[in-house]
Amino acid sequence: MTWHHAQFTRREILGKCLGSVAILSSSPTSGVVEALGQRETQHRRPTPPNEIGPFYKKGAPPTATLRAPGDPGMPLTVRGQVFNTRGDVLSSAVLGVWQADHLGHYDLDGYRYRAQVPVDSQGAYQFDTVIPGHYPDRVCQHVHYLVLAPGHKPLVTQLYFATDAVFEGDPDHNFGRDPLLHSRELVRPVVLAGDPHDTQAVVRFELVLELL
Amino acid sequence: MRWIAFFCALISIEPALGASLKLEKTITVPPEAVVRFTAISPKGDWVAGACQDGRVRVWSFPSGELRQALDLEDQRVSSLRFSADGALLAVGGDRGGVRIWNIPSGKLKLELKVVEAVIGLAISPDRSLLAIARKDVPALLWDLTTGRVITELPARFAGSQAIDFSPDGGWLACADGDTEIRIYEGHTGALRATTSDLLLESFAIVFSADGRTLYAGGADKTVSAIDVASGKVLRAFPRQTYAVSGFARSADGKILVALYFDDRGAANPAPVVAWNVADGSLEARVFEPKVTPNGAGFLGNRVIVTSSADAKLLLWSLR
Repeated sequence: MTWHHAQFTRREILGKCLGSVAILSSSPTSGVVEALGQRETQHRRPTPPNEIGPFYKKGAPPTATLRAPGDPGMPLTVRGQVFNTRGDVLSSAVLGVWQADHLGHYDLDGYRYRAQVPVDSQGAYQFDTVIPGHYPDRVCQHVHYLVLAPGHKPLVTQLYFATDAVFEGDPDHNFGRDPLLHSRELVRPVVLAGDPHDTQAVVRFELVLELL
Repeated sequence: MRWIAFFCALISIEPALGASLKLEKTITVPPEAVVRFTAISPKGDWVAGACQDGRVRVWSFPSGELRQALDLEDQRVSSLRFSADGALLAVGGDRGGVRIWNIPSGKLKLELKVVEAVIGLAISPDRSLLAIARKDVPALLWDLTTGRVITELPARFAGSQAIDFSPDGGWLACADGDTEIRIYEGHTGALRATTSDLLLESFAIVFSADGRTLYAGGADKTVSAIDVASGKVLRAFPRQTYAVSGFARSADGKILVALYFDDRGAANPAPVVAWNVADGSLEARVFEPKVTPNGAGFLGNRVIVTSSADAKLLLWSLR
């Protein structure tokens, strides 16, 4: 299969992203990291659910590294914290993620870009991957989440990127272009970090589960 | 009908394996009736097509005569299913609407409203029950005589993709989004067995003619034969390079037709494969470049009906 995406260099991808949104920043993520260490106690709204899609695969390996050395595509780090609606951190949460590779292909044979991501005692998680490509039967780039925690409703949702060219720089108005995306809340800002020759995207995505 | 053009092609599309499929007839439907997907009645006498213009058209087969044009009014059709005798057609929509029509009269028998998109439908052989697979939420078992829900059929998470009654109505199987297949008592919805061996989601299930085996296929690109009583996978047919999207069983139960799709883009061409269920061998395979099959069924034991997104209904003989 021929994919024009395959010919993009990292710089070209970065250029596309920079041209499409205004929320990008080159500032480091120290504030984000700082926030990770804080225990949150306020009541929170549950993360909007989003459909599981056709390619969930059970048995994914426990790892925080989905991106193999040399993998093409824009490197991406996703981090966040898992709470319930009372604001308690859920350190016992089991967090599964899966996504397409940078060309928009899901691995159905193995577990490429599939993982059970560790969650620490503060409910914090982080994983390294690449920004997924556009799967041909979907409008937006996305990462699938399945979050399970005892005493809580399972959360099936998806993470979207404000830099997605589909939004034309305005996810507030254009998130509905993907008929499966019903909540603006799932479209997260992308922070670009690092020097121009070694840029990495960073996204923060908090997960809030409802109590049973 | 004046807009239906019939012609016999009589060409072999792909070299024979155990047998061959010969294209016997093509029915081309008009552009406004471009078929997104079809349901074919178990006897092969009716084809219902969810069309691009929002209507469900019902053709008698093999004459190709258009008999009904139905719709859900305010929502996109997401599921179609005939009853075993072909006398009822259930249609589900992407906003939870379900309507059941008598066929061929087109008289509306029942209308239901559920939460979430309807992904799959099954009518019990005695036509007293309706099972509804839904996106993101548990499947439902309805009593059509009282109009009440008998029970929910929950998975651990997510909704369901496919649902089917056994030919005698004793069993009800549900392929769920958590990749498990749950087998229930047909009339009560009581869980009796769970298949947990499949790693990826199944998009299609169908019982064998004797109701003892359930065939499942999906993202794992394999057709798995499951023992209904225990839920254990008995064997897997040879894996293909495409995902399974649908099944049709011949009247005698000896041939299982599997409809495939390309997981790298559902609009890409994909094959239709006829499997011999006795030994899991491949009987015949059709792959037409540029053609995406979107429905399959049987007319008896040896004639296979397929539909495709290029506005054609095809009749194949298995030789």
